[in-house]
Amino acid sequence: MSASVERDAQGRRRARWTPWLLLAPGFLWLFWFFYLPLSALLRMSLSTKPSRFAVPEFSWAWSNYEQAFSDYGSQFTRSFTYALAATSIALLIAYPVAYVIAFRGGRYRNVLLGLVVVPFFTNFLIRTLAWKTILGDQGAVVSLLRTVGLLDANEALLRTPIAVIGGLTYNFLPFMVLPIYVSLEKIDPKLLDAARDLYSNTWRGFRKVVLPLSLPGVFAGSLLVFIPAAGDFVNAYYLGNAKTTMIGNVVQDQFLVQNNYPVAAALSFVFIAIVMVIVAVYSRLLGTEDLT
Amino acid sequence: MARSNLSRRQFITRSGLVVGGVALAPSVLAACGDSGGGGGDANGISISNWTSYIGKASIKDFERATGIKVTYTEDINDNNEYFAKIQPNLQQGKSIGRDGFVLTDWMANRIINEVEWAQPLAAAKATNKGNIRAALAAPGFDPTRTYSLPWASGTAGIAYNSEQTGEIRTMEEFFRAGGTKTVLSEMRDTIGLLMRADGKDITKPTYADAEPSFDRLQRAVEDGEIAGFNGNEYVSDLASGNLAAAIAWSGDVAQIARDNPKIKFVIPESGGTLWSDNFMIPVTSEKPGLATEWINYWYDPVNAARLTAFIQYISPVEGAADELAKLGGDAAKLVDDPLVNPDAAALAQVSIFGPLSAVEEQRFDERFAKIQGAG
Repeated sequence: MSASVERDAQGRRRARWTPWLLLAPGFLWLFWFFYLPLSALLRMSLSTKPSRFAVPEFSWAWSNYEQAFSDYGSQFTRSFTYALAATSIALLIAYPVAYVIAFRGGRYRNVLLGLVVVPFFTNFLIRTLAWKTILGDQGAVVSLLRTVGLLDANEALLRTPIAVIGGLTYNFLPFMVLPIYVSLEKIDPKLLDAARDLYSNTWRGFRKVVLPLSLPGVFAGSLLVFIPAAGDFVNAYYLGNAKTTMIGNVVQDQFLVQNNYPVAAALSFVFIAIVMVIVAVYSRLLGTEDLT
Repeated sequence: MARSNLSRRQFITRSGLVVGGVALAPSVLAACGDSGGGGGDANGISISNWTSYIGKASIKDFERATGIKVTYTEDINDNNEYFAKIQPNLQQGKSIGRDGFVLTDWMANRIINEVEWAQPLAAAKATNKGNIRAALAAPGFDPTRTYSLPWASGTAGIAYNSEQTGEIRTMEEFFRAGGTKTVLSEMRDTIGLLMRADGKDITKPTYADAEPSFDRLQRAVEDGEIAGFNGNEYVSDLASGNLAAAIAWSGDVAQIARDNPKIKFVIPESGGTLWSDNFMIPVTSEKPGLATEWINYWYDPVNAARLTAFIQYISPVEGAADELAKLGGDAAKLVDDPLVNPDAAALAQVSIFGPLSAVEEQRFDERFAKIQGAG
């Protein structure tokens, strides 16, 4: 009798620890690979260097943040403007594509999805460099636009904001298509039948049924495009010019050329903060507690 | 419903992992980069160099001649990037897994004099050191060539597609020429050429002297006279016709011009820059003797000629030209190529960008970064 009570108590004690044990690998991972590097970055962002090539020393140097804000405002603005443009264009392209695959794809669904993904098996850098050839002055796109009269003889596409935004859109497009496809695909066709039974036309059915149910996919897709696009530096480096540099280019320059780790770290933190605010506002607007 | 919900969640988690993986990959790679290195073998060394700076056969020749095993890695792409890569270890006196690397004059100055990460070459093993060209024997950063020996040299000038721009002779003609133009992201070459156009002495550069050149460059960027800043990427753009003209390096252009005679290279009338990439031994190497044997081998004019025939940059070794002529065939033609074997008149046109103090260098770098839109 007393033995079984003891066993119960033991079991309860063990049960109390089980969730913690289950969480431990995750916590350890986060601790080692997220909080530790992040705190090192934070420390670096508040350090100063006695001389240019010396090891930075921690000294509560808030001036790094002052410099990050005052000197690089235009690059921050540009990063988020370009990322917003790329996200919007990607959404306009991806939604119809995902819609067609989900509702009209039939047995070709998997093939169509594969076609969306396959180009992205190519290396990211190669894909970006390919756009240099496509948009180059001797390329087909420019000569076509010149024939049609949309471009003057001395106007170009390469090394313009259009090229940078285009590159960002292209490189992150599948991250928009796939989540939207998943959320469209799970919509029960009976809901659309019901809408039709209630004398709703196709457009209204889309607006009242399909669109609201696909919002979680739109939300996830926008974040998966917006965040990496805002931090990207490859597209601006290869497709842009000196007037299209983004915050990633500044961080790269500060780290690798200027050897100014503290300012680069401060820039990274400001970037993280801005992204967090944008994501918070955005998730409030779209109201997607369903997502996580 | 529950099932599809789960799959969507899985999907999002997985996409998140992919995105995270892509974001993390470069830093993980960078962290792994230099851990091992060759040279674990007592009779082996590990060398870092730029791409296209040696032929594979040449390494075998060296190994046969000396019995020293070489792990040769082409992992230098940019002076600043390589510096950033070796900095964390050398700053703490830890090995970078290399017994030698090759960096441009100004970076050699930083390595030898500012951060002091180079150790002297083993004098007893440097028996061919006397074969160095007189013009390169006593640079400001290493007047007795105790710590460094040049691997190869080249000049910066203007490359242009004569069909698109017509003839270009001066920096102003370069800026005014039609079509898309770029300049080098290597600050000393771009600013050096502009300072020379401005009549300034680049062997003793000061910010005050360089300021008008920076202003000129900034105006060129703002007015759209130049479209951007390039490393080696201008090579493919010039060849494909996407660039009308560019500030460029002689050796690269020599290679394009052979396939495409419309591409010309000219040193502006006001003068060009001359640079060398210098071999140095890091302080952490335990085999300075073997590493010195490596560079010493290439200072034998016969070996220097073979190297030059392959890489087609200016050899720092006196007598290499005579040996090139003896090789015959295509190699012998290089003797008459002023880009590979410049005569006295051509050398008089170019000069070396002198050392900058740490404070001055930071001012130069910051201003240059601002003009590039990254500062």
